[in-house]
Amino acid sequence: MSRFLNFDTLSLHAGQVVDPEYGARAAPIYQTTSYVFPDTDTASSIFNLERGGHAYSRITNPTVGVLEQRIAALEGGSAAICTSSGMAATFCGITAILEQGDHIVASTQMYGGNISLMKNTLPRFGITTTFVDPTDTDGFRKAVQDNTKLIYGELIGNPGLDILDLEAIAKIGADHHIPVMIDATFNTPYLCRCFDYGANMTVHSVTKWMGGHGVAIGGAIVDGGNFDWGATDKYPTITEPYAPFTGINLWDEFGPSAFATRIRAEAMRDFGPSMSPMNAFLLLQGIETLSLRMDKHLSNTMDLLDYLSNHDQVSWVNHPSLPSHTSHELARKYLPKGAGSIVSFGVKGGREAGKAFIENVELASHLANVGDAKTLIIHPATTTHSRIDADALVAAGITEDMVRLSVGLEDVADIKADFENGFRAAKRITKK
Amino acid sequence: MGFRTRQIHAGVTPDPITGAILTPIFQSTTYVQPSVDEYLSKGFTYSRSGNPTVKALELKLADLEGGVDCACFGTGMSAVLAVMLAFLEAGKHAIVSDVAYGGTYRLSTKILSRFGIDYTFADTSNPDAVAASVRENTALILTETPANPTMKCTDIAAISEIARKIRAVHAVDNTFLTPYYQLPFELGADVSIHSTTKYMDGHNATVGGAVISKSDEHAEAVRFIQNSTGTIMSPQVAWLTLQGCKTLSVRMDAQSASAMAIAEFLEAHPKVEQVMYPGLESFPQHELATRQASGYGAMLWFEVKGGLTAGKNLMDNIELWSLAENLGSVESLITHPVTMTHADVEKAERDRVGIIDGLVRASVGLEDTDDLINALAAALEQV
Amino acid sequence: MYFDVGGKQVFATTGGKPFDNSKPTVIFLHGSGLDHTFWGLHSRFFAFRNYAVLVPDLPGHTNSEGPALTSIEAMGDWLNDVIEALDANDVSLVAHSQGCLVALEFASRYPDRLRSVSFIASGLATPVNDVLLNAAENDPEAAIAMMLGWGFGSAGHLHQGPIPGNSMVAGGRKVMRGNVPDALATDLKACNNYKNGVGAAEMVSGPIQVIVAGKDRMAPGKATTELIEHLSDPDVTVIARSGHMVPQEVPDQCRALLKAFIFSNNPAT
Repeated sequence: MSRFLNFDTLSLHAGQVVDPEYGARAAPIYQTTSYVFPDTDTASSIFNLERGGHAYSRITNPTVGVLEQRIAALEGGSAAICTSSGMAATFCGITAILEQGDHIVASTQMYGGNISLMKNTLPRFGITTTFVDPTDTDGFRKAVQDNTKLIYGELIGNPGLDILDLEAIAKIGADHHIPVMIDATFNTPYLCRCFDYGANMTVHSVTKWMGGHGVAIGGAIVDGGNFDWGATDKYPTITEPYAPFTGINLWDEFGPSAFATRIRAEAMRDFGPSMSPMNAFLLLQGIETLSLRMDKHLSNTMDLLDYLSNHDQVSWVNHPSLPSHTSHELARKYLPKGAGSIVSFGVKGGREAGKAFIENVELASHLANVGDAKTLIIHPATTTHSRIDADALVAAGITEDMVRLSVGLEDVADIKADFENGFRAAKRITKK
Repeated sequence: MGFRTRQIHAGVTPDPITGAILTPIFQSTTYVQPSVDEYLSKGFTYSRSGNPTVKALELKLADLEGGVDCACFGTGMSAVLAVMLAFLEAGKHAIVSDVAYGGTYRLSTKILSRFGIDYTFADTSNPDAVAASVRENTALILTETPANPTMKCTDIAAISEIARKIRAVHAVDNTFLTPYYQLPFELGADVSIHSTTKYMDGHNATVGGAVISKSDEHAEAVRFIQNSTGTIMSPQVAWLTLQGCKTLSVRMDAQSASAMAIAEFLEAHPKVEQVMYPGLESFPQHELATRQASGYGAMLWFEVKGGLTAGKNLMDNIELWSLAENLGSVESLITHPVTMTHADVEKAERDRVGIIDGLVRASVGLEDTDDLINALAAALEQV
Repeated sequence: MYFDVGGKQVFATTGGKPFDNSKPTVIFLHGSGLDHTFWGLHSRFFAFRNYAVLVPDLPGHTNSEGPALTSIEAMGDWLNDVIEALDANDVSLVAHSQGCLVALEFASRYPDRLRSVSFIASGLATPVNDVLLNAAENDPEAAIAMMLGWGFGSAGHLHQGPIPGNSMVAGGRKVMRGNVPDALATDLKACNNYKNGVGAAEMVSGPIQVIVAGKDRMAPGKATTELIEHLSDPDVTVIARSGHMVPQEVPDQCRALLKAFIFSNNPAT
């Protein structure tokens, strides 16, 4: 092999060495807690970060390792670490470099869990966040403070679907020596490789499109390997000696994967948000068909956008692929294959009509997840964003009539037929 | 090494690649061969023919049973089927315990009989009855001891002697006592059958079966059927069963001790007509049960005074005990064989072998003995 | 650590232990356009086994002050200056690719300082084709893609390294991006211009180890064979399945070979 492999090949092969003992073609499920060392020298080498290897499945596991390396390969990152959930990935990423007194600049349009983490939880530990509208690129620059250590956003905002101008945001980060971490769950590396536009780390809820079947919760944090931690003294967790490993200097020793190594050495060891081997195996099966599924998600999405835009029970439709969307140009730039399979729309008749719609569709499942192979719908104001106060709700771009749709892989004619039932029920409510 | 050591370590070595202390779950259909010339050099080609995780369980069970080889199956019934297909053919005859599990009875009378195999259902607890059933073409004697659900015991050595004389295979279903309490090969049997679903797994997590052979010749015959019919165990099931086996003896001892206490409680209870548990002195074959096994197991049955109606009443009202099929798990289960496990056996046949309408089968689990007895006492109160 | 060599700042890592020149020394030499991070795991292994470890960035590479040196001969002399500056003793050199040419030059001229030399994935010469030479100056991204594309074997391209979660290709890209165009272009020209391999190889004495990558597309088999022919009694091992980036692609095998060779020829107490 003398050239870089392409996406579909990597999604099938990257990170897996065919089991050398038996030749098993599928990655074995290493459902084990611990590993027997051949000798003490090997044991001490692994513990002292002198060689790769496995000691205890909280830190690393061979099956999880295959998934990690596959995700790193697909993202073009220097290293990936899988976690028990997407939120755990975000938490590990933040705590690897921030501490009491530090500050984050983040987008207002994010998954409710991300907002809650930064608005409610991190302040308890002295980390504060300034939230900026994702369409206000210059607002990110203005929000940077002396103690700002991280810029954070979702490439495709949730639920307004505004697209970050990633290149411009990355430039702001680079100008201030601040890394840019992007939640890339909605785009996946198939639609956009964020490191190509200057992002420094990505986080994923691999529960969603990456896994694709709604069978396992999981997260990943990917180190882009492209941030110069040594350029300032702002990041002592990366550039100063780390006592638990005999004063290791991660930046000197691991360079491009210093950030990921910090998470491995600290978060996975001390917090322990590990992914289970069985979940890693299930998620690997999903990733093998990532591009095939994404293409179908996108074609169904385009079909439904056409259907919804022309439906007289629909008051508005929101998706970056629509020319009317404020982020349409950015979507064409960063997401040329398509801007994801999340659509939001308003049902004429407001809150009650929206509720009637959701209660009368049968094929689409009413639940709080996205990125399943099955079509999902939800009413954000009463579910995913229910713990956020009214002002933040408006800032997050959520209206009471909003239905969020995660377009699945069903035959699109069946999805439309199902929606017709919902719209008829919504119409009856409106007439009363 | 002793049983407790072997139930943990037999068949399992640390993964040579990573050192993983547990055998990985090789959820893989196929195996990449190093080269054409080295085909099969790593031992595996296709997971129907062999799988490293399943292999670990097979090695363990062969070791525990004292056999040369073990083949694992998708279910206990597949294991029974494999034994019948391995040692019988059109024109052959088998003698099967007349209190065999309902599924075995169904397999014999409704399916394999269509392929020209003859069966005699004999009271294997009586060696004379077995000897009287022997024909010129008898090739297999299949016994089950203690039998399900009557708890009737078969003298393994006596039947093995009959089988030896007529050059038939004696297969013993050893599910109820497991090799921890009973070693059929030491008593002369040729093949041992298990539903691993029961005590081997022990946690109601999997369905599986195993056939262990004492000789290479028998092992090859079983392996050939396993590969040809494809009735294999999945790697996930094998892995879970491997974990269950590690506590087999501890569970057996604790559950059997509870069973003894429960049998004594029931025997003394005024509303109970009769109790059958091999550990009770009153058990008709108590001497045989004590002689050929080192424990009595955790299965028993009893009849409530008032017969079927009273028994149903008890099962409908009892708490803690689950009304469910299966046996051998850590959860205590209670079953009504006439309507559940043995519904396929005709009434006349049931009555003949002693599966009376009021028979309530109890699989004693690992809960606190007092809690199990209290639950029975409360339910009997309402009868 | 930083130290002064001929009035310029040189950066080197020391494997996570302070450099102690009373111990036997292991010096790791990186290849074209790379830096100290290439040797991360291996340097740490020796530092924690009682060796003084030095992993310098060549002048003009990553943290060391420039400009980059324009000839292999100059790099050999510079290495001698580094050793003198630190008063390092009982040196075992471990070199990869371009580093091997530097090691040849150094070893042929300063034999007294050496206890052993390990050549990994190298020939007697490293001719560089015009397309790559041109790209290094005018289209660095294309040059990096060629270097990493040819440099890594299947373990690299399939992201199979033994460090859980790590992808060595992306790491290499980041390092090289910091060393283009100047350092990489200068390195490649120096390699291409180096003609003294035969003479230097015949002058090397003492224990010699050669580790050959079976799937090497940067140091072709013929050049490697020539190197082995002109060295005196080298200990040769071929790692059949590795590409050119041996220390990263098959670190466990590479370390085992280095460990056996250096522990026996330059033992630490």
